[in-house]
Parts: sequence; structure tokens; C-alpha cells
Amino acid sequence: MSNMTRREFVFLGAATGAVLAAGAALPLAILARDSEGTTTGAAVFFPEQRIASLSELETAVPVMFDYPFEGQGSMLVKLGQPVPNGVGPDQDIVAFSRICTHMGCDVVEYQADHHVLGPCPCHFSTFDLIHGGQVVLGQATQNLPQILLSVDGDAINANAVVGLVYGYANTLDQGVNA
Amino acid sequence: MSATPDFIPLPPADAKESIICCEYCPVACGYKVYTWDLGTQGGPAADDNALGVDFPSGLLSGKWVSQNMHTTTIVDGELKNVIVIPDGDSTVVNVGGTHSVRGGALAKKLYNPNGLTNDRFLYPMLRVRGNLVPISWEAAIDLVARLSQYTLDNFDELAWGMKIYSYQFYENVYVASKLALGDIGSPNYSPHHAPADGDDVPGLSDCGIDAFSAAFEDDKEADVLFIAGSDPYETKTVRFTTWQQPGGAKIIYVDPRKTFTAAYAEANGGIHLQLMPGTDTCLYNAIAREIIDQGWEDSEFVAANAASRSELDQEGKWRRQMFGLSFDEYRDYLFSSDDFTLQGAERETGVPADKIRAAAEMMTGGAGERPKTTVLFEKGVYWSHNYENTAAIGSMAVLIGSSGRPGRAISRMGGHQRGGQKGAGYPMDKSPHEYKGNKVEMDTERWFAEGKTRFRWVVGTNWIGAMGSARALAAKAEELTSVGPPVTSTDPDIAFEELTARMDNGGTVIVHQEIYENDSTPFADIILAAGAWGEDNYARNNAERRLRLYEKISDPPGEAKPDWQIFAAVGRAMGFEGYDWADTNEIFEEAAPRSSGGRRDYLALVEKAQADGVRGHDLLRTFGNTGLQTPLSLEGGELVETVRRHADLKFNSDSGKANFVLADWEAVKERNAIVGPVGDELWVTNGRVNALWNNLSDFVRRRISQDRWPMNFLEISPNDANARGVVSGDLLSIESDNVIDQLGNKTTGGFTAVAYVSDIVPDGVTYSYFLYPGQPANSVTPGDSNLQPINLRYNFKLGKGRIKKIGTTDLAETMSFAPRNLVPG
Repeated sequence: MSNMTRREFVFLGAATGAVLAAGAALPLAILARDSEGTTTGAAVFFPEQRIASLSELETAVPVMFDYPFEGQGSMLVKLGQPVPNGVGPDQDIVAFSRICTHMGCDVVEYQADHHVLGPCPCHFSTFDLIHGGQVVLGQATQNLPQILLSVDGDAINANAVVGLVYGYANTLDQGVNA
Repeated sequence: MSATPDFIPLPPADAKESIICCEYCPVACGYKVYTWDLGTQGGPAADDNALGVDFPSGLLSGKWVSQNMHTTTIVDGELKNVIVIPDGDSTVVNVGGTHSVRGGALAKKLYNPNGLTNDRFLYPMLRVRGNLVPISWEAAIDLVARLSQYTLDNFDELAWGMKIYSYQFYENVYVASKLALGDIGSPNYSPHHAPADGDDVPGLSDCGIDAFSAAFEDDKEADVLFIAGSDPYETKTVRFTTWQQPGGAKIIYVDPRKTFTAAYAEANGGIHLQLMPGTDTCLYNAIAREIIDQGWEDSEFVAANAASRSELDQEGKWRRQMFGLSFDEYRDYLFSSDDFTLQGAERETGVPADKIRAAAEMMTGGAGERPKTTVLFEKGVYWSHNYENTAAIGSMAVLIGSSGRPGRAISRMGGHQRGGQKGAGYPMDKSPHEYKGNKVEMDTERWFAEGKTRFRWVVGTNWIGAMGSARALAAKAEELTSVGPPVTSTDPDIAFEELTARMDNGGTVIVHQEIYENDSTPFADIILAAGAWGEDNYARNNAERRLRLYEKISDPPGEAKPDWQIFAAVGRAMGFEGYDWADTNEIFEEAAPRSSGGRRDYLALVEKAQADGVRGHDLLRTFGNTGLQTPLSLEGGELVETVRRHADLKFNSDSGKANFVLADWEAVKERNAIVGPVGDELWVTNGRVNALWNNLSDFVRRRISQDRWPMNFLEISPNDANARGVVSGDLLSIESDNVIDQLGNKTTGGFTAVAYVSDIVPDGVTYSYFLYPGQPANSVTPGDSNLQPINLRYNFKLGKGRIKKIGTTDLAETMSFAPRNLVPG
């Protein structure tokens, strides 16, 4: 968890009966995030989920996964250059929600030359994965939520979510899907 | 950084619901506002929240509340939860609740005593020995009224000036202009965006075409969209994403920059005409010549609708008499210059000849079936060379029959919404300025710089940064407000004596009516704390003439007052009659007859309201965010809207015909030689970007915008950057010794910006945000309206400067420098 040392932890308590993609355990804690949904800060911790293997991960080849809830599409990528929240030996592995924070479409086009996800197929928002999912150009009013990762041996694990995922009113609450 | 967890309180089912449209771009998307008590919230089930949907809300539902859609603000003296969310039930404009990044964060505009907007002006203030100190409204109104009267008594009406937004709702503009243009009767009145009042697109108007004649559905109906001088994705977002892109039209896009829409056009069968700054007139004339040369014009439309020489001779308006052309004369002009051949235009504009030809063919169908072509343009066209560019593009549209028919229109896309319902006519006879013996609206900035304005009331604008040659204008303001000793006392009588002594000694007194401090505030003697969007009930039109009610969400903070109340109080204090409105509805109803016969005509609405025994605002409210497209009429007691203007093929001229208008390229070339880059200068053009709007009064108080654009930027091409040893993130100085000021003198101007190296701009051209606080790009744009004497406008887009690296920044750690023109591949 060395990638989280700069973060501020705030204990909030348990979620309300959420069904997690990773299993049945409840999230642990929340870490502060700016109330306007921009970079750095906030994380909600969920049970650890193995996403990828260091030994098999190739630079610029995304790995798609759902986290923490089923249907919350995310992507992990080895950027090829170190970034503040990157993990792995090169500090360049990051993961983000793929659900556009404009109107919820699935953003799957990773452009390795520019380290951006997008444009979103619906309204063309593009997100910078070097800069915490910042909106490069587009209509989303929040950065892409970031999935915080840790490395354990060869395993790359997801541990927490930073930011409110499109459609949800509460990161901890799966809503009426629960 | 607050320790706020990631959740949004949902409005409970009984939360108060209001309607409002976006404050920003001219598209004016509809929004809903939910207000409810702190400490309570709704639940995720549809029955338990005011949005009436289950959470998580679905893909494209228009019912998701992002963190930037919520705030807390003071309503009736109590801090309340507020959500401002795109209207997911909207069937017009932003159908289904889509939105831009600007409007999507409207909640963050509201006054939040615990948030980034808590530095609003809360009470009127007087500058005493350099410091702004609170004074009472009684004292402030009394001072403004007495200073105004003193100006009229001891100088004349022209010495009394008002610089004011043109758009900030019918009710406010009506009262301000009733006072300034009517009862005070001064021509020293100009909008936030120009040195003089009057028409911004005179060439198009002289074609007889209403600047906002099209409807958004024309964009969808069109087969070809010719879009010039404004990137609709960036700055009229929902018009692009809801009306233009889904319609599937091929886009011919005209811009020196390869923006998102340029790249989108090229990737989808369209054409990017990447002209050099200042060459629009030549390009449009060359396209028109090629169309005529090939016989591709809409000869049937032209024969039926274009004015003849004899009809032009009978026009009453001097500009139309002077510049109006018959088709034959237009054709002869186009064929009189080698610059309008394909090769000549390539030489002059930088656009390859084959692309000019391809554009001419695409927009007319060439030898094949004629497509429906709509022509849309904005500031890149008319803030470059005002008269000639608007005449050239308007004439080109007439040539291909693009006006008044579904999918076949020409319109401005608009920069801001349309709220300029005036309360009095412009006193043209008092204007000191003229063109060839014809009175034109006075250049108020030249008048100011000449020291002839002794009292200036600046309302709702960062006046200095918004004008050309901004650095020289600031220096002039500093000089004129520093004449003699400063105000030394909070006693209004002493302050009055000291301020009038300054006037007598050739100085100027400045009143600034604003919501926040900005770059123009340091020159103000008196601050009048104003209300804003959402702080009273107001009406306004959008770019397709859609009139909607903007409902009040909260009171202005502290002792701040809605603008109309301030103007009315001064009017009463000066002894004028007719300033006793109880609310904005009374103003709305009083103003209705003055809208009659024009684009905004809503008299029928007020007449129907009165016949039905209801208030005008209340009747408008029943139309919700759908509103009504003006002009309105009554038929059988029912309101009839106008979807598009000129649908009857009657145009705004004495003959009722459309006109071709001379777009004098030789005059433009002479002007380009004066204003263009010198030596190692590059073009420094400017405009908006997606995530910011106007003077940034909201956006410097919005974290997502500040993360993206923490300071002004300068887009510079890789070659120009390499030549200067510049990489993205470097801090640049942009300086010119060849800026022309308000008096026609050569002066210096400059600003700083962070380098954004990008091939979005071609070599030789850079681009910056036009009005970033503290870093105004207008410091290097011309401030001399004599360069465009027909209509006294500035060449805002034609700045220039020497680009020099003066250091580095750490912005690359937090700010994206990724390309901003990536389109789906």
C-alpha cells in the first residue's frame, strides 16, 4: 500500500448490504476526496481483488475488469511511464473506471500514444490517465474514478475506489440493485 | 481539500423543484433545481427521491447527479441543499438531459458561504485612500445619483457612460438601458464585448438576414454544415452533440486551428479549411466565385429573392445603399481579383485550392442533386474583420439559397444567450462618431481614453480585459482615476466633493456593479454588490430564439441586490418617473411592447397572459424548459411560435429581398498589414475552450476547471516551440511592441501563459484563452476601432506577439497536456 502513503484516511463505517464483485465482505474505510470530484484524495476500500499478473502484463495493453461491483467496468493499464499513483516496479500501472462520468457510456478506447482513455463513444469526453483521469476535453464534470492498486508478488490487486462512479449516489451503496 | 466522502445527497421526494436554463453558452440547456433542508435526503428508490428514478440511474438517463451538481446555498436565510441537474425530461435543446461540462457544474456557481464562491460582494463599498470599505445602500445610491447628475449638469450626456453586459436577462438590460439611453439619454453606452453599441454582424444584416434565424433542428435536417470561426463541440456543446453530429451532415469547418470539430469533420467525410487568421473574406469570396464559375449557385433562389440594382437604390439604410450588390455586381466583383481564383485564394489564405473547390462542390452538390446546406458562424468570423467577413459569408449563403428553409439557413451560433431587451432606443443623433457622413454608434472606449468620459458605470463585466489593447486601457484607467487626491472620507458628502473635484480636473469616476472582484475592480471608486443568475426570476432567449423563464433559486448573498433594483433606485434618486416596479414580472410585461416586431417579440405572450388574467412570467413558466420560440403571435387566442425566420422568404430589407453585399478584400488586406505579426512575432489568436466561459468569474471558483486550466495557456505548434526551446509546461511571455491602442497609437501589450505544445495550431499561429484573469490575451489585440470604421469594432482575433520562455512550471504534474482534438478512431 506504499502508493497510498500521501493519502488521508477517514473511517466511515460499513456499507449497506452491497454485493461486491470480489465477494461478500464490506468495505473498510474512506479516504478524503475533494467534494467536487477532482483528483487526489478519496478512496473507498473494498475487499482485495486480483486483476492481473505483473509477469503477463504488457505495456499499453489494457486489462478490463469489473470493480468493486459487478457492472462497474474498469480498466487496468501499464502506461510505460511512472505516475504518482502508479504501482509495479516501474510505478506505471494504474486502473480507472471505464464508465464515463458524463452520461455513463463505456469508454474503451485506450490511446497509448497520449495515455488517454477516450473519446467516449457517446459525447467524446477524453480522460488523461497520467493525471488522475482528468478530463482532457469533454463534457464530464468529474474525473474518471480511479481504482487504487497494490502489488503482492506477481499479483496486481485492486483495493479501493477513488471517486463516485456514474449512476451511483454513494460509492458505498449499490442502491436498488443490492 | 475537504474530507468529504463520495456520495451525493439525493433530493427527497418532496424537495422543491424549480426550472432554470444554463447561464453560459447560447444553447441554453434546460435544468431542474431541487432545494431541500440540510440533514435530510431522499433514498435510492424511485419513490424516495425527487428525480423519480432508481439509483444507480441508467446509462444516458439524464438522471445522475455528479458531485459538481450539488452545493449548499442560502435560501430564505437558511442554508439548504441544492442540486442543479440537466433536465432529463427535456424534449428540446438538451434532449434527454445531456449537458456540457460548463452547465453540468452550475450548482458550483451558487453562493456557498462555506465554498469557493464565498468571496461574493456582500455590500456596496467606497474606495477610501485606496481601500474598499463597506457603505450603506442609501449612501451608495445617493452617491451614484448625485455623481450622475453632476456629470450631466457640468459636462454633458456624453461624459456619462455605462459599460454593461448585453445579455444578462431582459429585465436587467431593460431597466439599465431605460435609464442610460432613455432618461439620461447618453450614447456613451456599450456592451461588454465591443467598444460601441450596435450590430455585431452588420454584413449579414445588410444581406437582410436575421443573425439568429435558424433553429437547432436545421442543423439536424441539413446534409452539409458549413461551420466557421467557432468550434461547436467546445463552445456550443449540446448543439453539436444533440443536433449537429447525430444529424450526420458532412461538415465543412473553417478555422485556423485543427480543433475537435475540425478533426471530426475530416474523419467523417467533411473538409477542414484551415485558413490563416484574417483571411476569411478572401476564402468565402473564392468559394462563391468557384460556385458561380461552375454554375452551381441556386439560380432559382437568387432570381426570386435577391434584390436588383433598382431595388437596392431605393433602400433607406446607408450601409445597404453603399455596399449592397445585385447578383451581376457581386459576380463581377468576385471575378475582378485574381485573389479569388482557387490558386489566388490558396496563396492568400493558405487553404489548398483543391479543398476550396471541394468545399464549393460539397455545399452545392456540384453537378448533382443540391444538398440542404446550413451556414453557421461565430466570433472567429466577425471578430476578425467584422464588416467584410460577415458580408462575405452572408452573400455566399444567399448565393446557395441557404436561408429560411428547413436545413437551409445561415445563422450566428452565438457567444452568449440573448437577453438584450432594451428599454429605450439608442440616441444616434448624439453620437460623436460617423462614417462618411453617416452617424455610427460611438466608440465609448476611444471616448474614455480621450479623457472625455467623466463618470463610468461598469456593470457585470471585466471591462478592461474584455477590450482590445487591454494593457494600454488599464494604464489609461489608472491615470484617469488617479487625477488629484484620493477620496479621504467615508462621509458621502466629502466623498462626493472629492470625486467631483477629480472630474473637474479631467479625471474619471468609475462605479463597478459586480458579483466578484475582477481585473477591472482596482479602478473602481464605488462597488455596487449585485445579484446574479438564479437570484431573481428572469427571462432570456437562446440562439434559436427560445424564450424561457429562469426561476429564482436563492436571494443574492448578504446585502447584494438584483441589478434591476440598483438601476431603479438610482433612477428614482435622480427624479425620473417609471422606476417603481415591484418585481421582475412587472418589468417583463412593461418591456414586451418594445420587443414587438423584432426577433425577441413576446408581446403576444403578455397579451395572452393579461387576457387570461395571469402574470406574464407565470404564463411563460407553464411552458417549462421547452419555452417558446420567438417572435410570437396570437392566432385565435393561441400562441404561435416562429421556428425559423425568413420562412416566408421575406427578408429584413426595404424591398423584402435578400442582398449580396460587397466584402472588400483589398480593405482587409490593408488592415492585415497593419495588425499582423511583425518580425519574429507570431499570430496570437484567442477564444474560449470547452471547460471555461467568459471572464471566468465562476470558473476560477470551480475546482474541476482550475485543475484543468490553472492559468492561461498558449497553444503553440511543435515547430514554433522547438525554435524557441519551449516544451509544454514552460512559462511564456507573449509581448508585442506593435499593439494599436484606443487612440490609434502604437503601444506595448503582453501577458504570460503556460505553453501547450500542440499541432492543433499551425506554424505561425498560437492560441490562448481570451479573458483569463490576470493574463488577458486582449493585451496584444488591437484597440483601435478606426481600423474598422464602418461599424467600430475591434479585430479581437488578430493579436500577435513575441513568444519567449521565461521559466518552467510544475503544472505538468497536475494538468493534462494531452491532445484536445482526438476523435473516435
